Amino acid sequence: MADSPLFRRHPLTSSVDLVRWLPSSTASPSGRLLAAAVHDPSLGSAASSIHLFPLSDTTSPLASLPLPSRATALRSSPAALAAATSSGSLHLLPSSFECDAAVAVPGGAGFHVGPVRGLDCGGEEWVTAGEDGRVHVVGGGGDGRVVARRVWDGKGMSGYEAARWASPAEFATGGAGCGVQWWDRRKGDGVVAQCSGIWGRGIVTGMVHSIDINPSRKHICVVGGSSGTIFAWDLRWPQQPIPLSGVGLNGTTEPVCESEVWEVLFDPYTQSSDIITSASSKILPVMMCSEDGILAVVEQDERPLELLAEACAINSFDIDPQNPSDVVCALEWESIGVLSRGRDTMAEDDNC
Amino acid sequence: MPGMPTDGGGGGGAIVPFRGEPDQGTPSPPAVRPIRHGVAPPIFRVYISWSSGNLLQVACLRPPNSEGRGRSEEVAGSVVEVNLSCGGSGGAEVEEEIDEAEMRRIEYGSVPAFALLQSRKNALADAAAMSRLSSVPDYADWWQYVLEYSKAVGNLLGSPDSPLAFMIEDPKTILKVREKPTNLKAAWELLEIFYVDKQLQSWLPERLVDWLADFDSLLSGTESTVYSKLSNFQKKLINLQIIEDDPDYWNGLSAALSVGWLDIVVNMLRFHGSYQLDQMDNRETENGLVEAVAVLVSTMPRLRPNLPTGKLGQCCKTRPDFVKAWEKWRGQVTKLECSAFWIQCGHQKTRDGLKTLLHIMMGNIKELTASTSHWLELFASHFLYIRPFTVGFEGMHHLAQKCIQLKPSSGTNGLTGLVIGVLSENPEVVLAECTKNFGPWLVTHAMELLTADNDYADTMLHEERPNLGGISIDELHRLVYAQVLCSHSLTWQIAPTYLSSCLNQGLGLLEILLLKQPIQDNRLVLKTLEICRLYELDDVSTNIMKIAGIYHWKHGRKGAGVYWFQQAHDKVRLDRIAQQLFERIGKSVTDDSFKQWEGLLELLGPDIGSAGGLEFLHRYRDFKKSLQQALDGRSGEAARQTADFLIQLMRNPSTPQRFWLPLLHDSVELLNCKPRPLINVAETTLLLNKLQELSLAKLRPDFSNNHLPSHALSSVRLALASNLARAILEDP
Repeated sequence: MADSPLFRRHPLTSSVDLVRWLPSSTASPSGRLLAAAVHDPSLGSAASSIHLFPLSDTTSPLASLPLPSRATALRSSPAALAAATSSGSLHLLPSSFECDAAVAVPGGAGFHVGPVRGLDCGGEEWVTAGEDGRVHVVGGGGDGRVVARRVWDGKGMSGYEAARWASPAEFATGGAGCGVQWWDRRKGDGVVAQCSGIWGRGIVTGMVHSIDINPSRKHICVVGGSSGTIFAWDLRWPQQPIPLSGVGLNGTTEPVCESEVWEVLFDPYTQSSDIITSASSKILPVMMCSEDGILAVVEQDERPLELLAEACAINSFDIDPQNPSDVVCALEWESIGVLSRGRDTMAEDDNC
Repeated sequence: MPGMPTDGGGGGGAIVPFRGEPDQGTPSPPAVRPIRHGVAPPIFRVYISWSSGNLLQVACLRPPNSEGRGRSEEVAGSVVEVNLSCGGSGGAEVEEEIDEAEMRRIEYGSVPAFALLQSRKNALADAAAMSRLSSVPDYADWWQYVLEYSKAVGNLLGSPDSPLAFMIEDPKTILKVREKPTNLKAAWELLEIFYVDKQLQSWLPERLVDWLADFDSLLSGTESTVYSKLSNFQKKLINLQIIEDDPDYWNGLSAALSVGWLDIVVNMLRFHGSYQLDQMDNRETENGLVEAVAVLVSTMPRLRPNLPTGKLGQCCKTRPDFVKAWEKWRGQVTKLECSAFWIQCGHQKTRDGLKTLLHIMMGNIKELTASTSHWLELFASHFLYIRPFTVGFEGMHHLAQKCIQLKPSSGTNGLTGLVIGVLSENPEVVLAECTKNFGPWLVTHAMELLTADNDYADTMLHEERPNLGGISIDELHRLVYAQVLCSHSLTWQIAPTYLSSCLNQGLGLLEILLLKQPIQDNRLVLKTLEICRLYELDDVSTNIMKIAGIYHWKHGRKGAGVYWFQQAHDKVRLDRIAQQLFERIGKSVTDDSFKQWEGLLELLGPDIGSAGGLEFLHRYRDFKKSLQQALDGRSGEAARQTADFLIQLMRNPSTPQRFWLPLLHDSVELLNCKPRPLINVAETTLLLNKLQELSLAKLRPDFSNNHLPSHALSSVRLALASNLARAILEDP
């Protein structure tokens, strides 16, 4: 299997659960930085950690933040890098990346019990949503401490797998079977809209794994979940989610994948096929990664553009915000891959 | 194996496994692992079972009802997990030179190649069955597929030719700095050369020479080899003033020439002092001789189609070409040997050294034997200078025996054993050597090489053997390898690829493997389910979902529990947990705390048919909401609808009996609603019948009390009676 020169694999010596680009404003001398949540069960108590390393040398991390258990969510903001774990804790690493300066909210009855899959930064505050059905907003307490405020406690009746801010007052969550919820903090911290997804045709129900909201169109969520399902949910028409891909959809197009869609992100690099109408209601291109090893760009009413078809699962990916042609992904087989999309290759694709 | 509790001296105590086989020759001492279980002796019982991977779960229990009963702070027993991976495992050499992470990289990388080959094999078999040509299946190109597979796997093991990094090479470097070759790679290449690549068969000896050039350093760690001679000389080189005076220089030259490392020989000859500008004039003849030998070395004919860049010699594709070139070249060598210039050469050591090189090129067996160290080196030198046309395993094997006699080596190394096994045309020996020295990964993957073009090996490996429980040797080794993969939590996911290729026992083991995976983490469960989907193991995936459902339910994540039961279409358990949920509703859900239940109800979805007994929740919620509206707004429409909901609920057989009274009690106000009764005669009669049934049920022992006021029953009865009266009056 010869890899194209645009895709490079970097083997690591432990399993990589999540991977993110770090904002390059932190002016590192060694080029662009990556953060990866790694897990090596042979290391005992030090099995899980967050590694920060330059793209040029993935073997020697610049910094390593130990975690109490396996990382379940990882996000970076200009001010900090945040990681949530399967034991319900949240760890914030300031952008100076000094591991001594990291602050943590320990898991437990006061915060989350069990995995925290939903994590996102909305300016000043972080939202966390856990499988235990709790939703917290974590912010600075003014004196360097972090304070977690409980927004909702579902008492295990529902569980959340994803969370995303739309505006400083609104965020979306998603989870098992319960589709997507829209929360508005101005309206008493409650769910103001709900969408149960597009499952139900042939499949009983499904699980939401990832949500993304485009900053320029804050009323549209794109959601990835079970059975290769990707749909967009427009708050203006909350009862009519727009399917983008999935098994059992009544279209003739093949679904881009049939397994779990682990992550979705709007792809600013791929130009919408129809530039004139791009200001209209058409959903912008979305990149996704899946359990069956697909990294692809899907677009409403278009054939999906497959970027990678790996032999193992792609657990996570991230598009470099500063340089959206570059994509990093975490491969199940203990490695990360970096895909560079160039203008010329796109043109080649168009020709053939 | 029985475990014997011992009285540990240091408080913790230890469990010592012992083997009751006294007649074993020299039993190795059993590995003792102290376990900190924190249970005070006496220990009554020990249970040992495998957990996931190579974790062993050991449960230590104190005797029940012992005298320690009163002291409640003492632990009655505990379960500890023991990780067995840190002990010495397998003992295969490969694991010493390749660290675990690197080995895992190889394991991952070989999966796609293996899967592709298996699918091609199946496709060929299907095609053969389809065309009814099973007697003469078209396997003509099969070896090419295997070669492709072999190259793909070989690349994973490292490419010895690639330089470590971009570096400026010192002109005085003899041996190029390269990636360190591994035994695994050497063994793989050896099998590929002998068993797969048919194109190479006419120049097999040259391939062996190439192989030796790549892996000579692995032949022996203690004894001298050509490689070790040269690397020792390299270290010495910096301090040498007059190189040609050092005997090691000439020894190194003859050693390198005897195994055909022509580029190294020519390079080393150029170190000769006579090349230095200040000495050119005095040593003109000497320099001429050195250069003449260098030219002869670099033009040596080789019976092979091509040479990699940087290697020397002239290639001859066909035998007649080679014979012609060989005779011409030998003639030149002999001519130089008899030349008169030797007398004019003043430097004794140069004269002797160069003559030795010429004798090697002329195939002088004494010189060859003297300049090589290991028997494999001598073996290779025979191919180069004495018997370039050696073909067939028999001749090679015979030659190898002779070389071993001349150069007996004390320690056998896996590679030499493998070479002998291959040459003696004995796949059993090859397999045994691979198993012994290179671990299960190589054995499993090398099976395909062994059987690529060898009918005997094919039958031997694929024959089902009763003494192996009806499976073939091939399958046995795959199962062993799959077990190794399963024992690590990072590699278990690739084990199904191998298990699924085992026809007899693979699927059974695959099911066990999948069912044993941890279900605590939803993502891991989904990964396991994906494997079930790929192999169409629907029953297994249903079971896994049920197990996950029970786990989450037990740990208070009711939503997740219901989700998994729904996915598993497990009506029975959904009904069962519905009862538990109703218990809680009866107590906790009064009026507006239904908010928490919203998520769960949303989860049940609009299609309540799939929810089993839980569909009651939906109706109950609707009733409660509507009742609230009716009582708040006093609007006739809401009240009417609430009454409808009530009748629906009471008619529905899935409404649990214990909710009848609370439902009716909630609706007392509704029943007394003025001006017109909301419920007609027939409906009221239904409600009264239910109430009667309830009164009877009250006498049964399993009746559950609803925490309602004691007068609830009578107030409901009164309300119903008055409603009935009004309804009769209303009835036309």
